Amino acid sequence: MHKVIRQMAQLTLQTPLLATAPATSVAKLLAVPPAITQNVDCCGVHTASTGGLCAKWNKHNYGPRKWLEYNKTVHPPQESQDEEPRKAYVCHMRTNIKYSPDKMWYIAAFVRGMSVDEALKQLNFVLKKGATDVRETILEAQQMAVERHNVEYKSNLWIAESFVGKGRVFKGMRRHARGRFGRVEYKHCHYFLRLEEGEPPQHYYLPEPQTPQQQLEQWLEQMRSRKVISSL
Amino acid sequence: MEKLVCASTKIVQMQMPQLASAGMRLLCPGLQNALQVQQVRHRQTKHWKPEFKRLRRQKFIKIELPNLREKPQDISKEEMRSRMKERGVLPPRPWMERPFHISCTGGIFEAYVPPEGDGKKSIISSSGTKQKLEFLEKKSKSLMAVRKIRAYEENFSSDDFGVQAQEIYIAAHTHMAAKEKYKIREFVSERCYPEMMHNVKDKTIHWRFLQSLEPPRVVHARVTEVITKENLFAQVTVRFHTQQMLAIYDRFGRLMHGSEIVTKDVLEYVVFEKHISNEYGKWRLHDKIIPDWLPAKQPAPITYRITDEIVEEAPKELSGGEQTKQLETGSNQLTDINMSGSQTTTSIQPHTDGPKPTPAI
Repeated sequence: MHKVIRQMAQLTLQTPLLATAPATSVAKLLAVPPAITQNVDCCGVHTASTGGLCAKWNKHNYGPRKWLEYNKTVHPPQESQDEEPRKAYVCHMRTNIKYSPDKMWYIAAFVRGMSVDEALKQLNFVLKKGATDVRETILEAQQMAVERHNVEYKSNLWIAESFVGKGRVFKGMRRHARGRFGRVEYKHCHYFLRLEEGEPPQHYYLPEPQTPQQQLEQWLEQMRSRKVISSL
Repeated sequence: MEKLVCASTKIVQMQMPQLASAGMRLLCPGLQNALQVQQVRHRQTKHWKPEFKRLRRQKFIKIELPNLREKPQDISKEEMRSRMKERGVLPPRPWMERPFHISCTGGIFEAYVPPEGDGKKSIISSSGTKQKLEFLEKKSKSLMAVRKIRAYEENFSSDDFGVQAQEIYIAAHTHMAAKEKYKIREFVSERCYPEMMHNVKDKTIHWRFLQSLEPPRVVHARVTEVITKENLFAQVTVRFHTQQMLAIYDRFGRLMHGSEIVTKDVLEYVVFEKHISNEYGKWRLHDKIIPDWLPAKQPAPITYRITDEIVEEAPKELSGGEQTKQLETGSNQLTDINMSGSQTTTSIQPHTDGPKPTPAI
């Protein structure tokens, strides 16, 4: 506030001087405004008076904020050299995608635990609208990892976490028979992603599925460890 | 209502430029080809007669959904204008003037040129004699500058300044390693601050000053005026020959550069600056002089890809910058009487310079 007042004071001081300034400087000054107004136009309009973007009642809705904060954690240096180097990770997200979170879940779950190259390859053949957004998010995250997070090889990454959040929902109406009406929800979703360095694990979900051999062994073990009550 | 029964899905593969245009422009061109797949669904839950299509559509009350993924920079000027008109918003008033505060200069004036091979060349050789002559010429200028500094700072002596400079040097670097972004401002000028603190945030830096191999000495001094004649800035170049340890770890605690064990001998020419006409001015680290003859840096241990820098369209950018510069000079002319236009441009120019190489530690 203080700053603004000072600037205004300067402005009033300068206006009479402007008229007396030499012609060349006036021309220079006149040449300037387009450049400035251009910058001004770039800022967004926050004044939508109606609808979901109305700042009056929706100003505390910032969307997801915590996920990207994980990118700022700094881990302490590793003490000994023979310790395995800590794996790098990057968190990334894309917010307010015009797609249902329920439908996006299928894509998010599909990609989980894949290596980045594999996921990008597979997503080419997923015939859903959200697949493009997921793909682009993965590519962005990969680029971030290499450029900012000291990841050496961009293919040496896998999708450690991939999940969906619910975004802004706009409510609409539709007609039904006999003067009734129904509610339509126009949903948006957030897509969250964490890439981790290294090879993807053999089995993403725990406990690992057992091979027939293991199952047999387990069954045998179970059978042999039975206690038959009141026997010899 | 919208329960889609996928009776059959049909993949239509064709060259679709409009599909590739919208969201896929971000992707690299090789991947675009792979994405040229469109899905067509033939659902059979709708009435076959096309005349009911309109009636079905009329069931829904149309609302306008805002595009939440729209970026302000993507909106064209005309589009923005029409939207503001629609909402009855006046465009923000442009501020023609920009206040600025000069507390340090934007570079080194008459930079000290470190002699090749640390000045160990024989006087008998031709290049050696030339070097010595230039030295003498510059030394007299330095002496004049020291005298000028002494006029403002009585107990300044070029012999004792080395010790003081070393304290500032150590303080600045320890604060940088500790990421003390407020405390470091006492020891580092505004020009140097971004160079030192850039990219420090997600790193762990272990830096230790072990010892000074030679006592630091002043090799160069200059005083310059900025805008007015009484507004004086002093710059002193100090030669440090020290032993230091540096290890830089990335965000995950993996060693990126240097070592905890290896100590290195460091020869540096560091510029310190003080706003001498300011009563409360302090000597602060301003810049480091990196000579051209320095051997190439040790490459980083990791492999990385060099991206070709795209050359921006220079003329348009330049004209915008010039205009603002002219504005600055113009507004200064109105406020300051003693100042001439050419002086301001010289004082502003260093600010607009491109990124300089970060100081080699």
